[in-house]
Amino acid sequence: MLQFILRRIAISALIMFLGSVLMYVLTINSGDPLQDLRESRAENRDQLMAARTENMGLDDPWWQRYLGWFTGVSRCFVLQCDLGTARDGADVNNLLLSSAGASLRLVTIATFLAIFIGVALGVLSAIRQYSGFDYTITFAAFLFYSLPVFWAAVLLKDFGAIRFNNWIADPAVSITVTALVALLFALAVASVLGGSLRRQVVTGLVTFAVVFGLVFAFDQVQWWVQPALGLPLIIVGAVAALGFMLVMTVGLSNRKVTYAGLVTIALGLVSYFVTGPILDDPSGWLVILALTAVTVVVGLAVGWVMGGYERRTAMTVSVGTALGMAFLIFMDKLLRGWAGFLELAGNRPVSTIGENRIIPERFEGDFWEGIFNWGVQLVLPTIVLTLISIASYSRYTRGSMLETINQDYIRTARSKGLSDRVVFTKHALRNALIPITTIVAFDFASLLGGAVITETIFGWRGLGAMFRLGLDTVDPNPVMAYYLVAGGAAVIMNMLADIAYASLDPRIRR
Amino acid sequence: MTTTTQSGSGQPVYTGSGTPTGDEEVVLAFTEVDVRFKTEFGSVHAVKGVDLRVRPGEVVALVGESGSGKSVTSMTAMRLLPRNATIGGQVDVAGREVGRLSESNMRRLRGNDVAMVFQEPMTALNPVLTIGTQMVESMELHGVSRGAAAWKRAIELLGMVGIPEPERQMRKYPHELSGGQRQRVVIAIAISCDPKVIIADEPTTALDVTVQADILDLLRSLKDKLNTGILLITHNMGVVADMADRVAVMFKGEIVERGTVEEVLLHPNHEYTKMLLGSVPRMGHGRGQMDIRVKEEIDADAPLAIELKNLVIEYQRLGKAPFRAVDDVSFDVHQGEIVGLVGESGSGKSTIGRCALGLIPAAAGEFRLLGENITGMKRGDLKPLRKRIGVIFQDPAASLNPRLPIGECIAEPLVVHQVGDRKSREKRVYDLLDAVHLPREVYNRYPHEVSGGQRQRISVARALTLDPELLVADEPTSALDVSVQARVLKIFAELQEQFGFACLFISHDLAVIDLLAHKVVVLQNGKVVEAGPREQIMENPTQEYTQRLIAAAPVPDPLEQGRRRRDRHELLREQGEEVVELNVDADQFHQASREAEVVEVDGTDDQPRR
Amino acid sequence: MTDNHRPDDPEHTPAASSVEEVYSVEKQIDLSQKSYSQGQLVRRRFFRHRGAMVSLFVLVFITVMAFTSIGYGLIPSWWDKTFYDAGAAVDGGRPTMQLWPFQIGEHPFGQDTIGKDYFALTMRGTQRSLIVAFTVGLLSTVIGTLIGAIAGFFRGWVEAILMRVTDLFIIIPLLVLAAVVGKMASGIWWLALMLSLLTWTGLARLVRGEVLSLREREFVTAAEAIGTGPWRIIFKHILPNTIGTIIVSATLAIAATILLESALSFLGYGVRAPDTSLGLLISTYQNAFLTRPWLFWWPGLMILGIALSVNFLGDGLRDAFDPRQNRTAD
Repeated sequence: MLQFILRRIAISALIMFLGSVLMYVLTINSGDPLQDLRESRAENRDQLMAARTENMGLDDPWWQRYLGWFTGVSRCFVLQCDLGTARDGADVNNLLLSSAGASLRLVTIATFLAIFIGVALGVLSAIRQYSGFDYTITFAAFLFYSLPVFWAAVLLKDFGAIRFNNWIADPAVSITVTALVALLFALAVASVLGGSLRRQVVTGLVTFAVVFGLVFAFDQVQWWVQPALGLPLIIVGAVAALGFMLVMTVGLSNRKVTYAGLVTIALGLVSYFVTGPILDDPSGWLVILALTAVTVVVGLAVGWVMGGYERRTAMTVSVGTALGMAFLIFMDKLLRGWAGFLELAGNRPVSTIGENRIIPERFEGDFWEGIFNWGVQLVLPTIVLTLISIASYSRYTRGSMLETINQDYIRTARSKGLSDRVVFTKHALRNALIPITTIVAFDFASLLGGAVITETIFGWRGLGAMFRLGLDTVDPNPVMAYYLVAGGAAVIMNMLADIAYASLDPRIRR
Repeated sequence: MTTTTQSGSGQPVYTGSGTPTGDEEVVLAFTEVDVRFKTEFGSVHAVKGVDLRVRPGEVVALVGESGSGKSVTSMTAMRLLPRNATIGGQVDVAGREVGRLSESNMRRLRGNDVAMVFQEPMTALNPVLTIGTQMVESMELHGVSRGAAAWKRAIELLGMVGIPEPERQMRKYPHELSGGQRQRVVIAIAISCDPKVIIADEPTTALDVTVQADILDLLRSLKDKLNTGILLITHNMGVVADMADRVAVMFKGEIVERGTVEEVLLHPNHEYTKMLLGSVPRMGHGRGQMDIRVKEEIDADAPLAIELKNLVIEYQRLGKAPFRAVDDVSFDVHQGEIVGLVGESGSGKSTIGRCALGLIPAAAGEFRLLGENITGMKRGDLKPLRKRIGVIFQDPAASLNPRLPIGECIAEPLVVHQVGDRKSREKRVYDLLDAVHLPREVYNRYPHEVSGGQRQRISVARALTLDPELLVADEPTSALDVSVQARVLKIFAELQEQFGFACLFISHDLAVIDLLAHKVVVLQNGKVVEAGPREQIMENPTQEYTQRLIAAAPVPDPLEQGRRRRDRHELLREQGEEVVELNVDADQFHQASREAEVVEVDGTDDQPRR
Repeated sequence: MTDNHRPDDPEHTPAASSVEEVYSVEKQIDLSQKSYSQGQLVRRRFFRHRGAMVSLFVLVFITVMAFTSIGYGLIPSWWDKTFYDAGAAVDGGRPTMQLWPFQIGEHPFGQDTIGKDYFALTMRGTQRSLIVAFTVGLLSTVIGTLIGAIAGFFRGWVEAILMRVTDLFIIIPLLVLAAVVGKMASGIWWLALMLSLLTWTGLARLVRGEVLSLREREFVTAAEAIGTGPWRIIFKHILPNTIGTIIVSATLAIAATILLESALSFLGYGVRAPDTSLGLLISTYQNAFLTRPWLFWWPGLMILGIALSVNFLGDGLRDAFDPRQNRTAD
């Protein structure tokens, strides 16, 4: 396993090196770096041209320029990176530091969301093959697959930012819209859960009623400007999380494990009040992380103590439930910050330009409002990027899943009397995920490419902007800085995919 | 209980004795079962009204060739047929009508009352879950045992089916076990909930013959000790003779004959059964079966077609020492002689065949082909030699290019070696089609339009296109049904007599080798165990391995097979090997699973749900 | 001997033939039935695929419209306006086309900010996009097939290079490399060539994989054993069996190229003014979205329409080449 990873790292390093040469050579040959000066009518034109030629080493052969850049970069190994300067004299190191964070956040979130949602949709549409749900997902996948990213982004900017801002100023949901939303949910839930026609109608009606009631109630209490979950919803959510974990593992009838989960929920309620003061305005993400760690430990402990001879399952279920509940509490606190943020943003929460709503230097909110400050700006680009990746993940997963459930060992599993749930989650899913891991690598690269476009449209000063700046001015240094970060991220993502692959498939371990 | 019914062809069919009467206990009963599949090209009537009953502790064999509907019939008991199937009639498992059970009650039945053992042990287990997980799963599901107790019982079960060091195997993944061991695991899973009946669908077809004999021993002791009924689906008459109490012969969706194993195998009444039995080559009967004749007199001074001296073939492996597939093998093949290369999987027999075709290089030693040393020969130099060699492969589905019409396939060697013009090539192809008894009209057809045996005949024709001096036949009939195999073998023998080519006949089937070969070479793990004239090897083997190999091959005669089985067990004991059986105390076993069943809530009653 | 091979139905005329014939599991070769090659079967399945047929119709319609309306080379035009002449604004440049009562009007797609006919502009852009997409689809398929086949069959250094180049595309986003080379290219033909040189890797990998598995098939081994040369094996035995993968992949490559080219043009690295393309049109008018939305909608819908129909076409082809339902039981 270690050998396998080391081999991958060596190959990746080689590829990174070859790629950097290619990128460098292509970039410096992609145009005339003196173009703008040649067209200028400034008096000191020749002087300026000579100075730029001198600065950028335009008279040097390509390998000498490359070596110059490479020497600077290789000092990264002694933690003294020198990525050179841009054409206008700006330090690329600083440029990179200010732009990388937001972009990487965008791409990473989009990747994980896409994998999670895409795989889930793929599995569901494979299980409900040839149902209305399956056809809808298939058609939507084709649609998103064929959607020009830039076009969709412009559309979303209009609807998601400008019109949302207008709406939030005086938020009200008409009965028609409420009914429509509820109907959509009802159709989706009914076709996913499946069963006989009568059962589907019943689930559909129940879902419709619940969703309609919720949206209506939210509207009545002005939830849109003053949202919160509150204790009742947290408890309901936690029980749902427990139910989900049970269904995914041993089923609902197992008493020991169920009790372990219920105890976990009870402890979660206690901690809700205990940690309340800390969570009102935590000093930073470290606090959240530490609390998450505590949550996991408590979950493990409960499972250990109460699990009996089914200790392992009990521990899994408890931790899952605990994390689900912790997430709900986190969301509760976060949502409570929304009203404050609205105030700070002057009731126009989403900006069409930039990676922060309010420039961080001028921002004066608390921890939760701070999340909204970059969070709201992240939503639209993430949706654009995620939609397209979801399309490919769901298609691949569906195909892979259908392939898997035709295998002999699935027949064996069914002949043991296992229910569809266990057959799909325990026997089919893991096998079906194996080929998906190889797609992650390619998809991540295309996400990085897509980010260049979305950043352009949403006016982010991110990596994409840096890349375009370099390319437009035929300046290799910013382009190469982009390459280093993007390539590095891709290599890491690949590594994760490889590790996932090895842990899914015992046949290639060791 | 002897009744006579009308079959579809209007002939009276002998239903045979031994069928359980109305009030006898029956664990599995098919009544007028009828299955149709909806496909792209219309409806296929796979099973046409089948009646069958299995008593506890009884083995009923459902015999038939491919397409007879025997597997489909058995799957109706599990209700695991694909969605495009329409099922008629009634199936009762342990007294419950399968068609009327709700989905959850049906699941309670599967694994608990009726369990399955599948053909392909390599794919029947989930590759990403440990043996332990897969063992424990069904016991926990059916409430036989839970958690640590289930784990312990699983280890016991693995021990019962004869897997060494069961604790260690529990944490292994299926790919770390051999085929025979995996099949034992599958059997252990099948008996883990003490089912009333086990459906074994070709349980030994994918296994080597010695492993097959072991697994059959295991299954037999299982039904004796646990009183489990077994429905055995197979195409192999030898397996039937070895295992079955009663037999039903299926042809194109209908049972054409049934009765006790002695009745059906020794005194078959139906034409189809007779033909089927007549097509099986029998161990120990030697030459002349099925009218297959081979020219016996071989010119001992004839030049050598193949001469192997200390041949070594190795496969390179990444990061490991090369794997030695063939180790120090020497033998030769005279012109006009058929040499049978026999061995189980992994013996290196196919590797030698591939080396003879110049497809893999030899690592050491000498390989003389038609007088020329091919070790270290270049590709270009091999070509004139290849013109003189013909080849037939095992898989008729894969050995013809699906995009080429049959005529072009056969003419390919002529084109490659630039022999003749268009006209003469066409004539040659027609002659060859005549020789393998295929109509000339298939010239413009595609391989997917003809069936397996016909394709294999086309392969034979292609191999003979250039009048080769040597033919390499790698398991040419292993993938074929017996009746088809008989026909291909007959054509093959005819052609050998006519053309007089030398032949390297690679096979795992000793009976076939016995029928055709002049000389036999027995391989094990890349080494020659024993070699010599056919009579010597087949009738008086001196090596233990050869003796075991011959003893393990079943014959389609229950009395003779019973004798052979006892002889085999004796032989094994003599050689210090163990005779496989289920190591279990039946009372204790039943007790353990029955106690657990009390815990299980016996759900709601069967609700008719359609 | 041929007497034995009459297509007898064993159930009705049992006495006519030998026992072996009656109770043979072998399929009787039905010589009265028409013979279908694999290609014919594929075609039949394809024409039955409703989605693919609709898509084919849409694609042909768009293509014919794009190339005949404003003309291309020798193809005469039937639309009376050009994509470069500005005219007087009609109704503030709004689209004059309406569905009920149906009328096309003066400027069915409206006019741009300086009064150019937007239908002509869109058609011009569609032409450009289609030319680039189909050229790239063809070229990259040829390159990818060849390299993939060589890499899969001979292994060795070609394979090593192919795999490393593929690795490269995992590290550098295709769009980024395409942007750099697109910036160098002048004119759509150069652009098409450059993009082809970048986009063949996906197919090459696929073909390599197929070749690797086909190599192990017995008919290829048999051909090798007969003495068939490597190139004949590749072109006669292997590639015809990968034709499904190749055609499907080529189709999907066309859809991907449409999106890639328009994205590049949008960013300013593809087709540049004074020529126009669908991506460039969207880029130019993205800020007119609130005031003149049609300038934004038409080219976008055109891209979406083309990409969607090509993708559905690919799906139909995949189903036609790879039907998983021709297996019956036992």
